[in-house]
Amino acid sequence: MNEGQPLPLEEQITLLELVDRVLNKGVVLTGDITLSVADVDLVYVGLRVLLASAGTLDRMALESREGAAA
Amino acid sequence: MNEPAVFTALTALYVYGVVPAGTRLALPGAGVEASDVEILEAGDVAAIVSAVPIDEYGDESLLRHLNDLAWLQRTAQAHEAVLERALGTTTVIPFRMTTLFAGEPTLRVFLQERSEVLLELLRRFEGKVELGVKAYLERRATEPSAADSGRAYMLQRQAVQEAARDADVLAVKCAQESHERLATVALDARANRAQPSELSGRSEQMLLNGAYLVARGDTQLEEAVRDLEQRYAERGVTYELTGPWPPYNFVPRDLAAS
Repeated sequence: MNEGQPLPLEEQITLLELVDRVLNKGVVLTGDITLSVADVDLVYVGLRVLLASAGTLDRMALESREGAAA
Repeated sequence: MNEPAVFTALTALYVYGVVPAGTRLALPGAGVEASDVEILEAGDVAAIVSAVPIDEYGDESLLRHLNDLAWLQRTAQAHEAVLERALGTTTVIPFRMTTLFAGEPTLRVFLQERSEVLLELLRRFEGKVELGVKAYLERRATEPSAADSGRAYMLQRQAVQEAARDADVLAVKCAQESHERLATVALDARANRAQPSELSGRSEQMLLNGAYLVARGDTQLEEAVRDLEQRYAERGVTYELTGPWPPYNFVPRDLAAS
Protein backbone atom coordinates (compact mmCIF):
# COMPACT_ATOMS: atom_id res chain seq x y z
CA MET A 1 0.00 0.00 0.00
CA ASN A 2 2.91 2.30 0.57
CA GLU A 3 5.42 3.03 -2.13
CA GLY A 4 8.10 4.36 0.22
CA GLN A 5 10.15 2.72 2.94
CA PRO A 6 8.21 1.44 5.95
CA LEU A 7 8.35 3.87 8.84
CA PRO A 8 10.21 3.05 12.06
CA LEU A 9 7.87 1.83 14.80
CA GLU A 10 8.27 4.95 16.97
CA GLU A 11 7.31 7.12 14.04
CA GLN A 12 4.30 4.94 13.25
CA ILE A 13 3.00 5.36 16.78
CA THR A 14 3.46 9.14 16.64
CA LEU A 15 1.73 9.17 13.26
CA LEU A 16 -1.15 7.13 14.62
CA GLU A 17 -1.63 9.53 17.53
CA LEU A 18 -1.66 12.42 15.08
CA VAL A 19 -3.87 10.78 12.46
CA ASP A 20 -6.30 9.68 15.15
CA ARG A 21 -6.86 13.36 15.88
CA VAL A 22 -6.64 15.06 12.49
CA LEU A 23 -8.83 12.51 10.73
CA ASN A 24 -11.03 11.12 13.47
CA LYS A 25 -11.75 14.30 15.42
CA GLY A 26 -12.15 17.95 14.64
CA VAL A 27 -15.07 19.62 12.92
CA VAL A 28 -16.42 17.52 10.07
CA LEU A 29 -18.54 19.32 7.53
CA THR A 30 -21.14 17.23 5.84
CA GLY A 31 -23.50 17.84 3.01
CA ASP A 32 -22.80 20.11 0.07
CA ILE A 33 -20.61 22.60 1.89
CA THR A 34 -17.32 20.90 1.29
CA LEU A 35 -15.82 19.12 -1.65
CA SER A 36 -14.12 16.19 0.02
CA VAL A 37 -16.36 13.27 0.82
CA ALA A 38 -13.86 10.43 0.87
CA ASP A 39 -14.64 7.65 3.30
CA VAL A 40 -11.86 8.06 5.83
CA ASP A 41 -12.57 4.71 7.42
CA LEU A 42 -10.67 3.23 4.53
CA VAL A 43 -7.53 4.94 5.74
CA TYR A 44 -7.51 2.74 8.75
CA VAL A 45 -7.49 -0.33 6.60
CA GLY A 46 -4.08 0.70 5.36
CA LEU A 47 -2.78 1.89 8.72
CA ARG A 48 -4.00 -1.22 10.47
CA VAL A 49 -2.31 -3.52 8.01
CA LEU A 50 0.93 -1.69 8.44
CA LEU A 51 0.79 -1.45 12.21
CA ALA A 52 -0.48 -4.98 12.59
CA SER A 53 2.59 -6.27 10.83
CA ALA A 54 4.79 -4.12 13.08
CA GLY A 55 2.92 -5.44 16.13
CA THR A 56 3.33 -8.99 14.92
CA LEU A 57 7.06 -8.48 14.58
CA ASP A 58 7.15 -7.13 18.12
CA ARG A 59 5.25 -10.07 19.51
CA MET A 60 7.49 -12.48 17.65
CA ALA A 61 10.59 -10.81 19.11
CA LEU A 62 9.04 -10.97 22.58
CA GLU A 63 8.09 -14.60 22.26
CA SER A 64 11.51 -15.61 21.04
CA ARG A 65 13.06 -13.84 24.06
CA GLU A 66 10.66 -15.57 26.41
CA GLY A 67 11.28 -18.86 24.63
CA ALA A 68 15.01 -18.45 25.12
CA ALA A 69 14.55 -17.64 28.82
CA ALA A 70 12.39 -20.69 29.52
CA MET B 1 -13.07 41.49 -15.11
CA ASN B 2 -12.17 38.22 -16.80
CA GLU B 3 -11.36 35.68 -14.09
CA PRO B 4 -8.51 33.37 -14.92
CA ALA B 5 -10.92 30.48 -15.39
CA VAL B 6 -8.18 27.86 -15.49
CA PHE B 7 -6.96 28.69 -12.00
CA THR B 8 -10.44 28.97 -10.54
CA ALA B 9 -11.24 25.53 -11.85
CA LEU B 10 -8.05 23.94 -10.57
CA THR B 11 -7.77 25.25 -7.05
CA ALA B 12 -9.89 24.87 -3.95
CA LEU B 13 -9.55 26.24 -0.43
CA TYR B 14 -8.23 23.85 2.17
CA VAL B 15 -9.46 24.92 5.61
CA TYR B 16 -7.32 24.01 8.65
CA GLY B 17 -9.60 25.57 11.21
CA VAL B 18 -11.33 28.70 12.43
CA VAL B 19 -9.83 31.50 14.56
CA PRO B 20 -11.12 34.86 15.79
CA ALA B 21 -11.09 37.72 13.27
CA GLY B 22 -7.98 39.83 13.60
CA THR B 23 -5.65 36.82 13.87
CA ARG B 24 -2.40 37.37 12.01
CA LEU B 25 -0.93 34.26 10.46
CA ALA B 26 0.99 34.10 7.21
CA LEU B 27 3.10 31.01 6.69
CA PRO B 28 4.52 30.93 3.17
CA GLY B 29 5.03 27.37 1.95
CA ALA B 30 4.19 25.81 5.34
CA GLY B 31 0.79 24.41 4.40
CA VAL B 32 -0.31 21.11 2.89
CA GLU B 33 1.34 20.41 -0.50
CA ALA B 34 3.84 23.15 0.50
CA SER B 35 1.12 25.76 -0.05
CA ASP B 36 1.02 29.25 1.43
CA VAL B 37 -1.09 29.60 4.55
CA GLU B 38 -3.34 32.65 4.84
CA ILE B 39 -6.22 34.05 6.82
CA LEU B 40 -9.63 34.65 5.28
CA GLU B 41 -11.84 36.89 7.40
CA ALA B 42 -15.62 37.10 7.39
CA GLY B 43 -17.19 39.21 10.10
CA ASP B 44 -16.06 38.20 13.59
CA VAL B 45 -14.43 34.94 12.59
CA ALA B 46 -11.70 33.88 10.19
CA ALA B 47 -10.54 30.68 8.54
CA ILE B 48 -6.96 29.49 8.16
CA VAL B 49 -6.70 28.48 4.52
CA SER B 50 -4.46 27.36 1.68
CA ALA B 51 -5.22 27.24 -2.02
CA VAL B 52 -4.61 23.66 -3.14
CA PRO B 53 -4.86 21.89 -6.51
CA ILE B 54 -8.33 20.37 -6.64
CA ASP B 55 -7.29 17.28 -8.60
CA GLU B 56 -5.19 16.10 -5.63
CA TYR B 57 -8.32 16.05 -3.47
CA GLY B 58 -10.93 14.51 -5.72
CA ASP B 59 -12.51 11.38 -4.25
CA GLU B 60 -10.32 8.99 -6.16
CA SER B 61 -6.97 10.67 -5.70
CA LEU B 62 -7.79 11.56 -2.09
CA LEU B 63 -8.45 7.93 -1.24
CA ARG B 64 -5.26 6.87 -2.94
CA HIS B 65 -3.36 9.60 -1.05
CA LEU B 66 -4.87 8.73 2.32
CA ASN B 67 -3.68 5.17 1.93
CA ASP B 68 -0.20 6.30 0.96
CA LEU B 69 1.52 6.50 4.31
CA ALA B 70 4.13 9.02 3.21
CA TRP B 71 1.45 11.39 1.90
CA LEU B 72 -0.71 10.87 4.98
CA GLN B 73 2.17 11.63 7.30
CA ARG B 74 3.28 14.70 5.34
CA THR B 75 -0.23 16.13 5.14
CA ALA B 76 -1.26 15.29 8.72
CA GLN B 77 1.93 16.90 10.00
CA ALA B 78 1.43 20.03 7.90
CA HIS B 79 -2.21 20.30 9.03
CA GLU B 80 -1.22 19.96 12.68
CA ALA B 81 1.82 22.25 12.39
CA VAL B 82 -0.32 25.06 10.96
CA LEU B 83 -2.91 24.68 13.74
CA GLU B 84 -0.18 24.59 16.39
CA ARG B 85 1.29 27.83 15.05
CA ALA B 86 -2.13 29.41 15.40
CA LEU B 87 -2.67 27.82 18.81
CA GLY B 88 0.52 29.52 19.99
CA THR B 89 -1.06 32.95 19.67
CA THR B 90 -4.83 32.54 19.60
CA THR B 91 -7.82 30.22 19.98
CA VAL B 92 -8.40 27.55 17.34
CA ILE B 93 -11.35 25.40 16.25
CA PRO B 94 -9.62 22.51 14.49
CA PHE B 95 -11.27 21.14 11.34
CA ARG B 96 -10.77 17.66 10.09
CA MET B 97 -7.86 17.20 7.70
CA THR B 98 -8.85 17.53 4.00
CA THR B 99 -11.81 19.89 4.56
CA LEU B 100 -12.18 21.67 1.23
CA PHE B 101 -14.26 24.57 -0.01
CA ALA B 102 -14.83 25.32 -3.68
CA GLY B 103 -13.68 28.90 -3.28
CA GLU B 104 -13.70 32.14 -1.30
CA PRO B 105 -17.39 32.98 -1.79
CA THR B 106 -18.59 29.59 -0.49
CA LEU B 107 -16.28 29.79 2.51
CA ARG B 108 -17.35 33.35 3.33
CA VAL B 109 -21.01 32.35 3.24
CA PHE B 110 -20.28 29.40 5.53
CA LEU B 111 -18.38 31.56 8.04
CA GLN B 112 -21.11 34.18 8.11
CA GLU B 113 -23.96 31.70 8.41
CA ARG B 114 -22.24 29.80 11.23
CA SER B 115 -20.63 32.77 12.94
CA GLU B 116 -22.77 32.40 16.06
CA VAL B 117 -21.84 28.80 16.79
CA LEU B 118 -18.22 29.42 15.78
CA LEU B 119 -17.93 32.40 18.12
CA GLU B 120 -19.46 30.39 20.94
CA LEU B 121 -16.87 27.66 20.43
CA LEU B 122 -14.04 30.19 20.27
CA ARG B 123 -15.18 31.64 23.57
CA ARG B 124 -15.35 28.17 25.07
CA PHE B 125 -11.81 27.26 24.00
CA GLU B 126 -10.16 30.58 24.80
CA GLY B 127 -6.93 29.96 26.72
CA LYS B 128 -7.45 26.19 26.72
CA VAL B 129 -5.62 23.27 25.17
CA GLU B 130 -6.16 19.54 24.85
CA LEU B 131 -3.84 17.00 26.46
CA GLY B 132 -3.85 13.31 25.64
CA VAL B 133 -3.20 10.56 28.19
CA LYS B 134 -2.78 6.91 27.38
CA ALA B 135 -2.17 4.18 29.95
CA TYR B 136 -0.69 0.79 29.11
CA LEU B 137 -0.53 -2.41 31.09
CA GLU B 138 2.38 -4.77 30.67
CA ARG B 139 0.89 -8.18 31.34
CA ARG B 140 3.60 -10.22 32.98
CA ALA B 141 3.93 -13.77 31.84
CA THR B 142 4.06 -16.15 34.80
CA GLU B 143 7.33 -18.02 34.75
CA PRO B 144 6.68 -21.63 33.92
CA SER B 145 8.70 -23.94 36.17
CA ALA B 146 9.23 -27.65 35.80
CA ALA B 147 6.28 -29.39 37.48
CA ASP B 148 7.41 -32.71 39.04
CA SER B 149 3.95 -33.93 39.99
CA GLY B 150 0.34 -33.71 38.89
CA ARG B 151 -0.43 -31.65 41.98
CA ALA B 152 2.33 -29.17 41.28
CA TYR B 153 1.09 -28.86 37.72
CA MET B 154 -2.47 -28.12 38.89
CA LEU B 155 -1.25 -25.52 41.37
CA GLN B 156 0.79 -23.88 38.67
CA ARG B 157 -2.15 -23.76 36.31
CA GLN B 158 -4.32 -22.23 39.03
CA ALA B 159 -1.69 -19.59 39.71
CA VAL B 160 -1.54 -18.65 36.02
CA GLN B 161 -5.33 -18.33 35.82
CA GLU B 162 -5.45 -16.23 38.98
CA ALA B 163 -2.75 -13.93 37.65
CA ALA B 164 -4.76 -13.41 34.44
CA ARG B 165 -7.92 -12.64 36.43
CA ASP B 166 -6.02 -10.20 38.65
CA ALA B 167 -4.67 -8.44 35.57
CA ASP B 168 -8.21 -8.10 34.14
CA VAL B 169 -9.48 -6.62 37.40
CA LEU B 170 -6.51 -4.26 37.60
CA ALA B 171 -7.06 -3.16 33.98
CA VAL B 172 -10.66 -2.11 34.61
CA LYS B 173 -9.96 -0.52 37.99
CA CYS B 174 -6.90 1.38 36.80
CA ALA B 175 -8.63 2.67 33.64
CA GLN B 176 -11.62 3.93 35.61
CA GLU B 177 -9.64 5.43 38.44
CA SER B 178 -7.17 7.12 36.11
CA HIS B 179 -9.85 8.73 33.97
CA GLU B 180 -11.83 9.89 37.01
CA ARG B 181 -8.75 11.32 38.67
CA LEU B 182 -7.66 13.14 35.50
CA ALA B 183 -11.19 14.42 34.84
CA THR B 184 -11.26 16.13 38.25
CA VAL B 185 -8.36 18.39 37.26
CA ALA B 186 -9.64 19.01 33.71
CA LEU B 187 -12.33 21.37 32.43
CA ASP B 188 -13.71 18.64 30.20
CA ALA B 189 -12.76 15.02 29.57
CA ARG B 190 -13.29 12.31 26.97
CA ALA B 191 -12.48 8.63 27.31
CA ASN B 192 -11.98 7.25 23.82
CA ARG B 193 -12.05 3.56 23.11
CA ALA B 194 -8.71 1.95 23.88
CA GLN B 195 -6.89 0.95 20.71
CA PRO B 196 -6.23 -2.75 20.19
CA SER B 197 -2.55 -3.61 20.19
CA GLU B 198 -2.71 -4.34 16.44
CA LEU B 199 -3.39 -0.64 15.95
CA SER B 200 -1.35 0.81 18.81
CA GLY B 201 1.63 -1.20 17.63
CA ARG B 202 2.60 -2.03 21.20
CA SER B 203 2.71 -5.32 23.03
CA GLU B 204 1.19 -3.77 26.15
CA GLN B 205 -2.58 -3.59 26.58
CA MET B 206 -3.97 -0.06 26.26
CA LEU B 207 -6.12 0.70 29.30
CA LEU B 208 -6.92 4.34 28.79
CA ASN B 209 -7.16 6.55 25.72
CA GLY B 210 -8.24 9.86 27.21
CA ALA B 211 -8.37 13.49 26.11
CA TYR B 212 -8.53 16.36 28.60
CA LEU B 213 -9.29 20.03 28.12
CA VAL B 214 -7.18 22.19 30.43
CA ALA B 215 -6.23 25.84 30.82
CA ARG B 216 -3.00 26.53 28.97
CA GLY B 217 -0.03 26.32 31.35
CA ASP B 218 -2.02 24.48 34.03
CA THR B 219 0.24 21.72 35.39
CA GLN B 220 -2.35 19.88 37.50
CA LEU B 221 -3.02 17.21 34.89
CA GLU B 222 0.68 16.52 34.49
CA GLU B 223 0.99 16.16 38.26
CA ALA B 224 -2.01 13.84 38.38
CA VAL B 225 -0.40 11.66 35.71
CA ARG B 226 2.78 11.49 37.79
CA ASP B 227 0.76 10.50 40.88
CA LEU B 228 -0.99 7.75 38.96
CA GLU B 229 2.32 6.61 37.55
CA GLN B 230 3.72 6.22 41.04
CA ARG B 231 0.67 4.42 42.27
CA TYR B 232 0.52 1.93 39.41
CA ALA B 233 4.14 1.56 38.32
CA GLU B 234 4.67 -1.55 40.44
CA ARG B 235 1.68 -3.22 38.80
CA GLY B 236 3.17 -2.74 35.35
CA VAL B 237 1.19 0.31 34.19
CA THR B 238 2.86 3.13 32.27
CA TYR B 239 1.39 6.47 31.18
CA GLU B 240 1.96 8.56 28.10
CA LEU B 241 1.12 12.27 28.02
CA THR B 242 0.87 14.12 24.69
CA GLY B 243 0.05 17.68 23.69
CA PRO B 244 -0.76 20.47 23.93
CA TRP B 245 -3.12 19.81 21.03
CA PRO B 246 -5.80 22.01 19.50
CA PRO B 247 -9.11 20.87 21.09
CA TYR B 248 -9.82 18.16 18.48
CA ASN B 249 -11.73 15.98 20.93
CA PHE B 250 -13.97 18.76 22.17
CA VAL B 251 -15.39 20.30 19.02
CA PRO B 252 -18.79 19.11 17.84
CA ARG B 253 -18.43 16.43 15.20
CA ASP B 254 -20.70 18.36 12.87
CA LEU B 255 -21.41 22.07 13.26
CA ALA B 256 -24.89 21.60 11.86
CA ALA B 257 -25.75 19.26 14.73
CA SER B 258 -24.60 21.63 17.48
